[in-house]
Amino acid sequence: MNSRFDSSRFLAALAALVFVATACGSTGSGTPTASKGTLTVAGFNFPESSILAEIYGQALAHDGYTINYKLLLGTREVVAPALESGQIDLYPGYAATDLEFYNKGAGEANGDAVATTAKLNSHLQPLGLTALTPSPAVDQNAFAVTTDTQKKYNLSKLSDLAAIGGQLTLGAGPECPTRPFCQPGLQKTYGINFKAFKPLDTDGPLTRAAFKNGSIDVGLVFSSDGDLNSLGLVVLQDDKHLENADNVIPIMRQAAASAEVTSVLNAINAKLTTADLVTMNSQVSIQHQDADAVAAAWLQQHNYNN
Amino acid sequence: MTHLANVVQWFADPAHWRGSDGIPNRLVEHIQISAEAVAIGALIALPIGIALGHYGRFGNLAINISNVGRALPSFGLLVIAFQVFGLGNLPVLVALVALAIPPMVTNSYVGLREVDPDVKEAARGMGYRELAQLVRVELPLAVPLVMAGIRTSAVQVVATATLAALIAGGGFGRYVIDGFAQQDYTKLFAGAVLVAALAMATELSLSGVEWLLVPRGIRLLQARAANRAATFKTA
Repeated sequence: MNSRFDSSRFLAALAALVFVATACGSTGSGTPTASKGTLTVAGFNFPESSILAEIYGQALAHDGYTINYKLLLGTREVVAPALESGQIDLYPGYAATDLEFYNKGAGEANGDAVATTAKLNSHLQPLGLTALTPSPAVDQNAFAVTTDTQKKYNLSKLSDLAAIGGQLTLGAGPECPTRPFCQPGLQKTYGINFKAFKPLDTDGPLTRAAFKNGSIDVGLVFSSDGDLNSLGLVVLQDDKHLENADNVIPIMRQAAASAEVTSVLNAINAKLTTADLVTMNSQVSIQHQDADAVAAAWLQQHNYNN
Repeated sequence: MTHLANVVQWFADPAHWRGSDGIPNRLVEHIQISAEAVAIGALIALPIGIALGHYGRFGNLAINISNVGRALPSFGLLVIAFQVFGLGNLPVLVALVALAIPPMVTNSYVGLREVDPDVKEAARGMGYRELAQLVRVELPLAVPLVMAGIRTSAVQVVATATLAALIAGGGFGRYVIDGFAQQDYTKLFAGAVLVAALAMATELSLSGVEWLLVPRGIRLLQARAANRAATFKTA
């Protein structure tokens, strides 16, 4: 007796619950009928990586995926194993640096983004990972001049310096005279012989101060550094590819890299530029905006309205 | 041992003896900034120490303040001065002057305090005015201690001027900083040897200056005292 009575109440309760659940579902957000799947996006422990991870993540969310974020996860030594073990599905990488990480510093990277990416993929393949199409946006060593110097000599690329190098002073970290990507590379690849070299730092406070008081004309900086614009510095194009191709590139698990995910990320990557990185980095590092808001604004500009 | 041979070879290389990164130019830079710092430091510290020692007032206060100065890390001061003054020699000078002042204040104060009150009274009795008494009687007697203060300052400043290279300055510190950045440990070691040699040379040459400045009578007095001490010891 008792048990029959109980089970009928249980059925009634269950029916009520189902009704409430479906009612809630129909009054909810609406558009995505069901998530296309869940992806975990990670980022390195610096602001630019958080911005890029947010851009990838929000674009995929816009396409109907459910995204978990693991931002500021750590260095590549932490992030790469997490990807291999499947704890994360993708992270925004840099072609040359990631290649030299996965090949254990074999020195295979060069200035060609496509060749570097192909090499990178040959190392990722056996690990069940893949790198997508590299973006034109790069975060790499670059040589900058002040806008005054740029106008005075009408400069746009590094090869423009070959003729006038004898009048200019180069500033960079003290290791620059012995590093192939720095002074010797500028001499060998571009034939630039500077009047003098001033040992400073790599895109740090000394280099800024030296640009400011005019004691250097050309300085080593990072191409996507957020305060290049506000400092009145212009990066000269590396037209002969002296620097390794550290183009922004999504690195992900093959299992997660469906045709749809790949096409969403490749479309984003194609639109991203180094100038965008400079602007967004300055919004986060200097104006202290949140990476997710900066990423959302970029996506809105490019017609990904969430 | 091969490391030492490399350093010897480094010094033998004529390329390291010419140009803006050559040893002669770096030596001039190093001496220049050090000399400026010690000179400015002396202009500030000696009048204070001498006046306080002469009048015998506020001595503890001055010594305590200058001892706090000793506790200031030069590197920290250099970084702060760089933020304020930007690139150039000025921030280095600020840090080095701050380092140079304390030993000179303390030593000149003590030097003047230690002058025998009987001698001061005798000078007064002979009709010396206060300034004459200070310049002709007290200062000569205080020279050994005042000079010891200058010597201590100068050696510390020469050793510390190495830091200038951290904010793109010159001097022997260039070899140390650049050698480290370039993983050229021969250059680094050669730089350290040069700094040490210059510090020792500073000590020796200032001892010579001190010998010249100490009045002959006091020198004889000291010599006799030393002999006497030796006699007592052997006796």
